[in-house]
Amino acid sequence: MKKFAIVFGVFCLMLSAFTTLKDQIFVAPKNWPKPVYDFAKNPLTKEKVELGRALFYDPLLSGTNTISCASCHSQFTAFTHVDHALSHGVEDRIGTRNSPALMNLAWHKLFMWDGAINHLDVQALAPVSHPDEMGEKIENVVLKLQQSKIYRKLFYEAFADSAATGERTLKAISQFMLTLISAESKYDSVMRKQSQFTTQEKNGYNIFQKNCSSCHKEPLFTNLAFENNGLPPDTKLKDIGRMKISKNPADSLRFKVPTLRNIEFSYPYMHDGRFKKLSEVINHYTSGIQHNKTLSKPLEKAIILTSNEKVDLVAFLLTLTDKKFLFDQRFSYPKEIFFPKPKD
Amino acid sequence: MKFIITLILLFITGNLLFSQSAKKLQLTFNPTFNNSALNLSDSSYTSNRSDSLQIETLKFYISEIELLNDNKVVWKEENSFHLIDAAEKKTLSNFLNLPTELIYNKIKFNLGIDSVTNVAGAMGGDLDPTKGMYWTWQSGYVNFKLEGNSLQNADGIKEKKSFQFHLGGYMKPFYPLQTITLNVTEKDSIKINLDAEKIISVIDLQKQHHIMSPCKEAVMLSEKIAKIFSVQQP
Repeated sequence: MKKFAIVFGVFCLMLSAFTTLKDQIFVAPKNWPKPVYDFAKNPLTKEKVELGRALFYDPLLSGTNTISCASCHSQFTAFTHVDHALSHGVEDRIGTRNSPALMNLAWHKLFMWDGAINHLDVQALAPVSHPDEMGEKIENVVLKLQQSKIYRKLFYEAFADSAATGERTLKAISQFMLTLISAESKYDSVMRKQSQFTTQEKNGYNIFQKNCSSCHKEPLFTNLAFENNGLPPDTKLKDIGRMKISKNPADSLRFKVPTLRNIEFSYPYMHDGRFKKLSEVINHYTSGIQHNKTLSKPLEKAIILTSNEKVDLVAFLLTLTDKKFLFDQRFSYPKEIFFPKPKD
Repeated sequence: MKFIITLILLFITGNLLFSQSAKKLQLTFNPTFNNSALNLSDSSYTSNRSDSLQIETLKFYISEIELLNDNKVVWKEENSFHLIDAAEKKTLSNFLNLPTELIYNKIKFNLGIDSVTNVAGAMGGDLDPTKGMYWTWQSGYVNFKLEGNSLQNADGIKEKKSFQFHLGGYMKPFYPLQTITLNVTEKDSIKINLDAEKIISVIDLQKQHHIMSPCKEAVMLSEKIAKIFSVQQP
């Protein structure tokens, strides 16, 4: 009897270890800091992630049923809106900011360029509700989802209840966004000692570490703080950044430091998308900084780079491209959900 | 085997005892205008400042309900968040399950949602963002919502003007959460009145007809509104 119990216990342990390994949807890359997202409150499941993926790609979330999250956050460009300095939404209305790239969000505490959003779960409410973005009320989104046959099935699979609610809808979108981990760039493989930088990339990395890494901190390539990077304010947009939320003058012109991962594809750059090319960005830091009270401390001292050094720096930045992430089928349009193959 | 039966018996009797030792307390919020029931479609209300006005929306969150005996907490509701909406009668009353032998003489609750809950992500039930009490452009719950319109004299001409007061916020110094403590006697029900006329009378609609974000004014108005809640017990 005792023997049996022990054998049975060991078997159970092995089984649970095996299933957790196999079913782990979120795996933090090795040597990364601990994620800030509280997974205990929204444990990831395959079904919820799939529901979130469907929601992310569905224009049903907009007032006109024409704009989805993916409209301004497309996978091939690291989930941002290329070619548009300011992203446009329903009826081609233009917003006031450049849509941010989406990746490694489990490590972020505040969202949006000004940190207006305090939790990943409630992030989607902002673009859904904004009249220049998706122009829809979450109440209506939930109603539409409750009436949809596809979603009744997806909600049932995810929550054992076919009825959509605001909480479930938002948590499912979070689940999908949490799976968007980019940690397979050349830079990452060099860090894991699986490949090597070229001489030029290595030189660029040294320049990066000396001049950029205090704000664009590895391995996320952002310190997740709000900084004024010396951009002359746009007189038309009059965007004061973080101060809009905190109402603290010390936060004037501070914007959330974006990640540099996949920067090759996430153009245009800056909160208002004013720069199209990486060379313009680098030239801003070497010769375009506007000094004022809230300027980020490390930028007070001029960054001086030769033209060769600038080229090397760009070469390094290109090692942050993660092709596996940009083309990962798990993150792409879920045609198998929206257009299931008929069963023979 | 005997042991298991004893356990089951214990469990059943325990359950019986427990269920018998609970009683229900009905907690009702009663929105009024000038001491009579608030009618959201009545546009002929008058206040001391404007000619006539209509209240279209009166919605607020009550949270962390506690009963006190003198100043000692004797009962606390778990997961205590209630959206009270003057337009939905069923939201006005809540039943609290109390142990029978409870002695108390005060009720205490928050007007609004605390900052910890405000940063905890998406929630369900009364806290679901579909309830129309969550800001979207900036995270955070609206604690208290009062909307309507008023006819006002502007240079001799009567002008219809809408008003919206959305009071909320979770970051200091703009943290308008209020704690309200009221004296009560032990009965089967507690009725708490909130008179909209008294709220309107602390606002100068000529000067201020909306608050839509966390700010100093939201904190100040919340403090004033908290003082208007009063207990009515037969």
